Amino acid sequence: MAQNLVTKLYRISVIGAARNKPYVVPSVKAVTYSTSTQQDSGAVKNSDAVKSVFISQSNDIFTNLALEDWLYKNFNFINHHILLLWRNSPAVVIGRHQNPWLEVNTSVLSEHGIEIARRNSGGGTVYHDNGNLNLTFFTPREHYNRKNNLQLINRALIREWGLKTEISPREDIVISGGYKISGTAAKLGRPNAYHHCTLLVSVDKEKLKHALHKHHKGIKTNATQSIPSPVMNLCDVNSHVTVEKLLSTIGWEYLRTCPYTAEDRGKDFIMKQRGFQFINPTDQWFPGLDKLRAELTSWDWRFGKSPKFNVTRTFQVPQELLGKEELRNEELSITIDVNKGMVEDVMLMVPPGLKAANGFSGQAQVVTSLKGQRFSEEAVTILQKALSELESPEQTRNEFVVDCVRTSILALEDEKSN
Amino acid sequence: MQSLYFSSRLQRLRNFSRDVTIVTQLCKGVLLRTDELNATQSMTSCFNMVNCAMHVNFRTIKTTLTSYAERMYTDKHEWVLIDGKMGTVGISHYAQDALGDVVYAQLPDIDTEILKKDECGALESVKAASELYSPVSGRVVEKNIAVEETPALINQSCYEKEWWDD
Repeated sequence: MAQNLVTKLYRISVIGAARNKPYVVPSVKAVTYSTSTQQDSGAVKNSDAVKSVFISQSNDIFTNLALEDWLYKNFNFINHHILLLWRNSPAVVIGRHQNPWLEVNTSVLSEHGIEIARRNSGGGTVYHDNGNLNLTFFTPREHYNRKNNLQLINRALIREWGLKTEISPREDIVISGGYKISGTAAKLGRPNAYHHCTLLVSVDKEKLKHALHKHHKGIKTNATQSIPSPVMNLCDVNSHVTVEKLLSTIGWEYLRTCPYTAEDRGKDFIMKQRGFQFINPTDQWFPGLDKLRAELTSWDWRFGKSPKFNVTRTFQVPQELLGKEELRNEELSITIDVNKGMVEDVMLMVPPGLKAANGFSGQAQVVTSLKGQRFSEEAVTILQKALSELESPEQTRNEFVVDCVRTSILALEDEKSN
Repeated sequence: MQSLYFSSRLQRLRNFSRDVTIVTQLCKGVLLRTDELNATQSMTSCFNMVNCAMHVNFRTIKTTLTSYAERMYTDKHEWVLIDGKMGTVGISHYAQDALGDVVYAQLPDIDTEILKKDECGALESVKAASELYSPVSGRVVEKNIAVEETPALINQSCYEKEWWDD
């Protein structure tokens, strides 16, 4: 007898007596905010859903991500679909299951005041600034359709500026010769879902390249990795395109499109919709927004949520630190296991030349002072302090080891490393 | 009319008292665990009603707790196989087919306490992160590490690749 192929995910010690009838999931969250006049979530619609365009007045990446999350969790989209348009000051946004240390150079970004944020949807890493427009299409789960949304954007660009764009197999929007102008990601839940994408209008491409530059850092992980693509700004193709104009162009196109297909219903259809609305994302208007924002800014979410990984780096020991008898090239190797952003284990392989008389003896200190620390500069500072407290006559050797650890963690380009 | 009402009420109470016996037996085993609010609450309410009953008619009914393992499905996505106090949660073939190629599986950590319908993890496929909702309340005791390390297993047949001995 053919049986369903199934996958087990986890085992759970169940509270409460076993049910003896099939369990059906009703709506997951209590619907508290609704513009719908229909009564229950299972109501059969007898008219099209109405549409609104919300424009966020905030430029803060965390506030906007929190607003997006708030709408996803609290709004009833059954009869009311929403397009949220938002822009941010310079920030890098990584996907839900990505590793920030692998994707970007975290110390360089913090030096330049560029925020690092993690979003709730999947996908790769993107760079935002005021020349980038973000669009989020909110619908109930059943009406989630990425392709339709992207076709809508294509149509808007043609209608206003005659710009011909294509949708790549990976569902990015590309223009003239395969340059990417938009990246897409989505989150599917019950009862709501959203699809969001970026649109590069007049982004600082130098900063983008610098921020997203991937360094080889000896990181091994099963986190999802970004696939780099050559990008182009819309204003490079047509200098009349600006973010402000794009806001209204796409907004109008959204309002005249059928909510369930990509069909253009014409200008008259717009009269039946709810038009544009400026949104001020504060806790007063959106109770619970501050809590969502706090969670999104926390280190535990941004860095601690990274899937577990290990870093392995080897360093050439400078000749002067080795004992006089040793003339061979010797290497120091460090492997750091990180889970939830915390150092779980450290393996330090000290070459014999370094260990020789008056050599490095702080091996145990390195391991114990790093274990349990956050994978960050703080750990290096603690290590430095621990080693300086050792009664070792050769501080230069300690400093060398500290430098190696610092390079491993902060992934600075080191001429001596491979 | 009134007499009808009272007699039907009496009948209901008689039926209820039968039910109370059964409920009491179930609750006995369960009440050993103090963290089970649901059981405690229903126990209390049962006793309250028994105190108000006009006729208390305790007939001892022997009930055997038959726990038969049956896979129960949620609305197209997760299923739970309950065996006594232990539940195994997974996703169906339909769900993995709808997802497409899974590139990452985020499962709840061991010892996490989850309530029914809580978001407890996610499966990422082709840039869409799909939420996992828990079909039951409880405490996670084991998770499928093989799937976390090789998410593509979700898209393959897992009958051959049992990850524990049942």
